[in-house]
Amino acid sequence: MKRKIIDHLFRAITALCALVAASVLAVIIGAIWRKGASAMSWEFFTVQMKEAGVSGGILYHIAGTAILILTAFLACAPVAISIGLVHGVYLKREHTRRAVMLVLYILNGVPAILFGIFGMMVFVQYLGWGKSWLSGGLLLALMLLPTVTVAIVARIEGIPRGQIEAAAGLGLRQSQIVHAIYLPRSFGGLITGSLVGLARVAGETAPIMFTATIFAGATLPTGIKESPVLSLPYHIFILAQDSFDPAAGSKLWGTALTLLLLVFAFSIIALIPRLKSAVAQHHD
Amino acid sequence: MTKPILHVRNLSVHSGRRTLLDSVSLEIPHGGVFGLIGPSGAGKSTLLKSFNRMLDLTPGLRVSGQVDFHGSPLYHRSVDPDALRARIGMLFQQPVIFPGSIFANVTFGVRHHGTVRRRDLPQVAERALRDACLWEEVKDRLQLPATTLSIGQQQRLCLARTLACSPEVILMDEPTSALDPRSTAAVEELIGCLAKAITIILVTHNHAQAAKVCGRVASLSSGKLEKIRGFDLEKV
Repeated sequence: MKRKIIDHLFRAITALCALVAASVLAVIIGAIWRKGASAMSWEFFTVQMKEAGVSGGILYHIAGTAILILTAFLACAPVAISIGLVHGVYLKREHTRRAVMLVLYILNGVPAILFGIFGMMVFVQYLGWGKSWLSGGLLLALMLLPTVTVAIVARIEGIPRGQIEAAAGLGLRQSQIVHAIYLPRSFGGLITGSLVGLARVAGETAPIMFTATIFAGATLPTGIKESPVLSLPYHIFILAQDSFDPAAGSKLWGTALTLLLLVFAFSIIALIPRLKSAVAQHHD
Repeated sequence: MTKPILHVRNLSVHSGRRTLLDSVSLEIPHGGVFGLIGPSGAGKSTLLKSFNRMLDLTPGLRVSGQVDFHGSPLYHRSVDPDALRARIGMLFQQPVIFPGSIFANVTFGVRHHGTVRRRDLPQVAERALRDACLWEEVKDRLQLPATTLSIGQQQRLCLARTLACSPEVILMDEPTSALDPRSTAAVEELIGCLAKAITIILVTHNHAQAAKVCGRVASLSSGKLEKIRGFDLEKV
C-alpha cells in the first residue's frame, strides 16, 4: 500500500515537471506569436529595413543570419568529421580518447560572450578583418563544433564491431574501411548534430555583436575585410534595447517570431530521422 | 601427399598471461573441408583467425611460431595483411550485413578493392550469388535492402560477398550456429560444393556436422591440438 502511494506520488511529480516545462514553452511561443503575427507578411520577408527598424522588412537580416550559419556549418563539418574519425578510428588509447571528449565538453561550456571577445581579439584586431561575416561564421563554427562532433562520435561508436571485422575480413585496408563504413555513418551524425547545433547558434548574439553584425547599413557582403552583415538576433537585441516606438515593437516581435520559426524548422528536421529510427527499432 | 596450403608450426598465442594457443602444429591440405572442433574456449577461433591475420586486429595478443601459406611465412614483415585477407576470406558466426541493398552487399569487397570495373560488377555479383546458391531467390530484388532477407539467406549473402573476391581459402567460424535446421542443411551442402575448388576451414562444435562435411578434423582442447581424424582416409 505504502509502495503504491509512493509510486503514484512519484508519477504525479514527474508529470507536473513535464507540464511546467511544456507550459513555459507554450507561453513563450504564444506570447511571441500573439505579438509578432501581425507583423508577418510577404513584404516583411522581401523588403529591407527602413527608418531604423520602424518600417520595412528584414530581408537582409534573414540573409545575414543565413550566411552566418551556412559559413558555420561549412567550416565546422570537415573539422568535426576529422575529430570524429581520429577519435573513433585512429586513437587507440582510452585516456587520449577521453581527453578529446573532455576538450569538446569544455569548449561546449565556454560562455558565448567569451567567444565574442576571443573573435574580437583574433579576427577583428589581430587579423584586421574589422567586422566581417567570416569571423562571425567561424566563431559560430567553434560553438557548433562540440555538438556536431559528439553526434558523429556517437554514430561511429554505434557501428557494430562485426561490420568492421567483416570489412577487414574482405581485405579492405583501414583507409578503405573509413571510406566504406565510417564516413557514411558519420554523415548521419553530421546532419542531425548540425541541425540541433545550428538551432542553438542561429540565435546567439554575443559572439557576433562585436565581430560580424551591425544594426543598419549592410546588405550582402562583397569581401572579407570590413564586410559585416545584418542578423536576426542582433536586430532583436537592438530593437528591444533602444526602441520606444510602438511600430518598432511589432517589427521586433515579428523578427523574434521569424527566428523562432527558423530554429523550430532546424529542430524538427533534426527530429525526423530520429523518429524514423525509433519506429524502425520498434519494428525489429 | 601434395604440399599443404597452410602449414602451422609451433603456433602459440598469448593474451596477457593467458595462453590461448599452445604450440599447435598441423598441416591443412589443398582443397576439401578441414574441420576444427572442440569445446568453447579451446582456441578454435583463435587458430582460425591466425590464418588470415585477423588476430592483428585484436590489441594485446602475442603470436609466436609460424604459419606458412603456400610455403611462405604469413607472419613476415613483407606480408600485407589486407591483401592476404582478400585471398583468405572469412565467414562469421552471425551474418554481418552492411547497410544498403543486396547488390551493394555482394559487391562490397570487390567494389572497394577497385579490382573490378564498375560495369563488370553486375556480372561478378551474379556469379558470386549463383555460387552461393542464392541467385534464384534474390535475382528480382537485388536493389532491396539486404536486411529484408532471412538469416539463412543473409549468411549465404555473406558467403557470396566473400566468393566475389575470389578467395583461395575461406575460413568459417561456426557459420551455421545462428541458423535453423533447413538453412543449416543448405549451407552444409553448399560447403561441400565449394570445397571442390576452394579450401575451406570450418570451426564447429557439432561432431555430426564435422563428420558430415569435413574431410579431416583437428580437435582442440585448452589451446592444445589433441588429435587429427581423417574421414576421407581411414586414419591419419
